[in-house]
Amino acid sequence: MNEQKLKQLFDAARSETAPAPPADFAADVLRAIRQQKPVSPPQAISVFDQLNLLFPKLAWAAVAVIALGIAADYGLAAAGGPDLSDGLSQISTQWLLTPDAF
Amino acid sequence: MSDDAELLERIRGGALDDFAEIVQRHQARVFAILHRYERDVQKVEDLAQETFVKAWRGLEQFDRRAPFEHWISKIAVRVALDHLRREKRRQNEIGLPELGEDALDWLHNDDEKSELAGRAAAEILELAMRQLSPADRVVITMQEIEGRNVKEICAVTGASNVAVRVRALRARAKLKQALEKLMKL
Repeated sequence: MNEQKLKQLFDAARSETAPAPPADFAADVLRAIRQQKPVSPPQAISVFDQLNLLFPKLAWAAVAVIALGIAADYGLAAAGGPDLSDGLSQISTQWLLTPDAF
Repeated sequence: MSDDAELLERIRGGALDDFAEIVQRHQARVFAILHRYERDVQKVEDLAQETFVKAWRGLEQFDRRAPFEHWISKIAVRVALDHLRREKRRQNEIGLPELGEDALDWLHNDDEKSELAGRAAAEILELAMRQLSPADRVVITMQEIEGRNVKEICAVTGASNVAVRVRALRARAKLKQALEKLMKL
């Protein structure tokens, strides 16, 4: 195909008219937009919200630590090992609660 | 009557109904762009709707200093490009049965002065351009049919000046080959 014929083809294609939009096209667009899930910007989460979200996990972790401590105390007492409660109170008396500890 | 900027400001403030006015102002241009890439009127309408919905969803990204018309045209071309990519697989065959009598006559007529109607030309180009990649097709359509310059094509496609020039040359050569193949059928 020579350049002249190609140019004629492009010129003719350029002259073709596009279909007219239907009368209710704008209304259809609005309907489609309303059907879309609303786009909302991500909300900033406060520290309290984050703690609130984490609370169940933190509570269970605390319960697990306490249960582990009690189990260890009983276990050591049954095995004739050092008593954990006595040991802790001894440490607190000797090191933490004496006036010359500081 | 409010200009586009004023209307868009109201739409950003939540006045969705004002978007209908924006659609009415720009729908003819969007239909014209999309019709260059899709002949089926129903599909053109669907693609036009997709274009405006995308514009609405991306309204926050619209640079208010630029004309809305340029921005919506850019979205329309990208919607067309995505559409061409989706359709590419089922459009790889090239054949004559889809061409009308006028188009066939013109293709097989050696007389350079023979008349060619817009519709017949669009049919021939549609068929020949199936041999091009979607990106090549967009570039050649914008350059040769919409009459846009390289700078405008770069702005719409996001490609560099050199890339657009190279693609346009390559697309033109491929299109000529496809048309010659059609003429021999």
